[in-house]
Amino acid sequence: MLRLFLPLLLLVALICLALVADRPQPRADFTFINRTDINTLDPQQMSWQQDFRIAKAIYQGLVTSDVFSHDYKAVPAVADRWEISRDLKTYTFHLRKTGWSDGSPVLAGDFAYAWMRALLPDFGADYLGFVEHIRGGREFYQWRQDRLAEFAAHTGAGNDKPDTAGAARLWALTREKFRELVGVSTPDDRTIIVELARPTPYFLDMVAFATFFPLCERVVHQYEVLDPLTGRVSWDQGWTKPPRLVCNGPFYVESWQFKRDVRLRRNPYYWDKDALAIDTISIPTVEDPVSSVLAFRTGAVDWVTDVLAPFRAEMVAQKAAFYREHQSEVDAMRAQGLDPIEIDRRLPPDPRKNVHVFPGFGTCFWNFNCSPKLPDGRANPLADARVRRALAMSVDKRAIADGIRRVGEPVTGSLIPPNSLPSYTPPAGLAHDTEQARKLMAEAGYPGGKDFITIDLLVAKDGGNELIAQSIAKDWQRELGISTTITVQETKVFRERLKNKNYMTARALWSGDYGDPTSFLEICRSGDGNNDRNYSSPRFDALLDAACNETDPAKRMAMLEQAERLLVEEDLPMIPLFCFANMYLFDANKFTGISSHPRGEQLLYQIDLLGDGKGSDLPRVLPPRPQVDGGGS
Amino acid sequence: MTGLVVRRLLQLPIILGVIYTLTLVLAWRIPGNPLENPDGRRPQPEVVAAMQRQYNLDSFWSFYWSYLDSASGVRYLRDKVTGRAAEQDNAALAAGRAPPTRSIFDLGPSLQYRDQRVNDIIAGGLPVSMTLGAAAIFIALILGVLAGVIGAVRPNSTADLSTLGIALVGISLPTFVIGAALLLIFPVLLGWGRIPSWGRPVDLLLPAFTLSLPFAAYIARLTRMGMIEQLHADYIRTARAKGVSETGILFRHALKNAFLPVLSYLGPAAAFAMTGSFVVERVFVVPGIGQHFVNAVQNKDLFLIIAIVLIYATMLIVFNLIVDVLYRWIDPRIV
Repeated sequence: MLRLFLPLLLLVALICLALVADRPQPRADFTFINRTDINTLDPQQMSWQQDFRIAKAIYQGLVTSDVFSHDYKAVPAVADRWEISRDLKTYTFHLRKTGWSDGSPVLAGDFAYAWMRALLPDFGADYLGFVEHIRGGREFYQWRQDRLAEFAAHTGAGNDKPDTAGAARLWALTREKFRELVGVSTPDDRTIIVELARPTPYFLDMVAFATFFPLCERVVHQYEVLDPLTGRVSWDQGWTKPPRLVCNGPFYVESWQFKRDVRLRRNPYYWDKDALAIDTISIPTVEDPVSSVLAFRTGAVDWVTDVLAPFRAEMVAQKAAFYREHQSEVDAMRAQGLDPIEIDRRLPPDPRKNVHVFPGFGTCFWNFNCSPKLPDGRANPLADARVRRALAMSVDKRAIADGIRRVGEPVTGSLIPPNSLPSYTPPAGLAHDTEQARKLMAEAGYPGGKDFITIDLLVAKDGGNELIAQSIAKDWQRELGISTTITVQETKVFRERLKNKNYMTARALWSGDYGDPTSFLEICRSGDGNNDRNYSSPRFDALLDAACNETDPAKRMAMLEQAERLLVEEDLPMIPLFCFANMYLFDANKFTGISSHPRGEQLLYQIDLLGDGKGSDLPRVLPPRPQVDGGGS
Repeated sequence: MTGLVVRRLLQLPIILGVIYTLTLVLAWRIPGNPLENPDGRRPQPEVVAAMQRQYNLDSFWSFYWSYLDSASGVRYLRDKVTGRAAEQDNAALAAGRAPPTRSIFDLGPSLQYRDQRVNDIIAGGLPVSMTLGAAAIFIALILGVLAGVIGAVRPNSTADLSTLGIALVGISLPTFVIGAALLLIFPVLLGWGRIPSWGRPVDLLLPAFTLSLPFAAYIARLTRMGMIEQLHADYIRTARAKGVSETGILFRHALKNAFLPVLSYLGPAAAFAMTGSFVVERVFVVPGIGQHFVNAVQNKDLFLIIAIVLIYATMLIVFNLIVDVLYRWIDPRIV
């Protein structure tokens, strides 16, 4: 019998051993859940929201945006002041004294090094286009591209003549060439002068973006790996892992256990460290949407950043019911223009009020393939703007927002979410008008849908998009007499098909990166890498170009408004459906620091636990909007 | 016995090679581009081309051989022997850089998580999944064997039928239903246990219990069948005639023989449990490798797919070997 039990005992011993070796860490001051783990802590490689959120906590750019102001004003960060030349093309930044988390000072060269990285063809930064706003960026990229091709030719296509010394020489030359070609100069360690290719009114907004964050050259330089066969430079994947990673932001990364937990701790060398009200932040990964809500319910988590549980519409409905119970108070506070989070804070405690829906800086829309030919070679009736307008006017967006999404997202006729940009008012777009839609179809030669092709609606498998497709298909069938099919594909396949324009109509989503209409409009420019619609309008491109060179802000905005009007009222390469909402779960009475601004950016170093005696303990709120047009939930 | 172990271990690389080839052929054919982000921005075409070259994604055969080269440890050895590793390290050091990280079995980078090497992902998640799986197998053994014995003592009695019924529920109820229900009852309503939390023995209880249920149910049925058969055997009658107590008969004589089918089931079961369960790990927020079985395929993360499949295969082979060794040790008649 002992023979039977011995293996069992061994098993138990093994389990105990594994557990002893793997102790959990103590609870952090603030804990929030990321829907999925961060992809990278390399600021020049980031393109995911959860990455950007952490980037803003562990790195700091020259300026940062004030997320508690309506215009997202650029405020001093590593640069304590800056001058802008009259032609809006030269920016001079003066750096303050601040430190990397290893104690070394942040130097002007750290910024130049990071920006050079982003401009390397061998590196593959997703936001290369941002850095190319700097004079000479494009040329530098091309120069390096050509040299790499030469290098590869010289080491042989069969890759048999590695040239270690040659790779090192090319790299040294590249660094020299960067100083020579690109409009970034560092006259001393505390000054950076940036020359732009053309006046870019939103440049400061971009400088607050992760791609423009600095890297500690002294440290990161050590992880450069030069490939003796191709001459390309890469960075050893381990450099972003603590303890190797050094940060210049309010926090540094204390530990990163993949798909488990990221821990941030206050950076003792950060210039404004006394303003921080928390010392540690823990960011566990909880991928299951139900478990993340349950984790919040147990009190282990302070903030859930994406509420995706299947019952989220019911959570929103419960909050509405709670508001109805306090209708008069809510109305009075809304009339004062109070921040929606502040309204929740002032209402009596109730778990129902912990769910928050804020309109975000993104729009969900429906793409049309505007190519002259369909993927199968037939002529494409969708190339006719009248047909696209008709299809757009027959879609009942309310039914989608209120019947399918059910979380109070506002429907939109424009690509750019209203109220998200202070000096820009997007056009209204086309109204839901089935009568007019039928007329347009008849005009285009398809009265009652006669002789029209079967339209396919392509959606990705996840995210409940199939229901939206069904709703749109139903509208097209009923109002215009068009027959439809729906194709559901895996996300990667879906993205690939869009890229190759191998579709007729498809679901899409875009969110802005910086505070300017071009952040949305550029995706419709002819030949843009994100122009999945294959839409090409010389008029639209000309308007964007003209706006590019316009220095008067008011005139520029008018041009962009005209460009968007062309998109959403005449040409309709896409049907704007609804503004994407950010859905959070947190108790407004417990902490402050979350902004309800539609741009949806949150700065973790502004988090302050209320009533803990650390920090000011005063709620941060978005001041009432200057003009009277309500947003918020 | 030693012959068996040596023979099996020698077979291991050949089997893994075949599995690698098959997996790569299938994974390569998954439609979609691994370098595309869902809803993310599209990198510029030259960037994608550069990345494809970097990861050898532009040609099946160059990927096939280069991965085989680095994952099998051949490249590591070659670099060491030819002195290329030392040369690279010296060049890096001379330029003031850190020498590159090297692993003997280099499973490559993750295409989805750009900061992670597959080796690190496995090293972080596999111990967690193995602990959870071991605990689940342990619970399953206790529950299953007990239920099986109870059922076998009085076949078709109320006790037997109810254990069989529970076993049926254990097999057929999906784990995400049981898991969510347990989460709702214990941490949320009663305040026992935390999510997300991993590393305390208590954290193991709910997920291990949930994961054990299907295994326990199967073990219970195997034990019951085996016990009923054994209890009718001649040697049991002899033992009864000799006056051996009923507990002695059950546990010392009958169970020992009835357990052998359970033991052979334990090999694949342990491999299955210890490589992690997608659903249980997801619901209970356990940081194991189970999630990668599904996510890696969806992301077309080639390096991770192959690594996960190879690990599962290795575990399956190793656990079957352990079971065979135990078999011979428990029952020396088997040679």
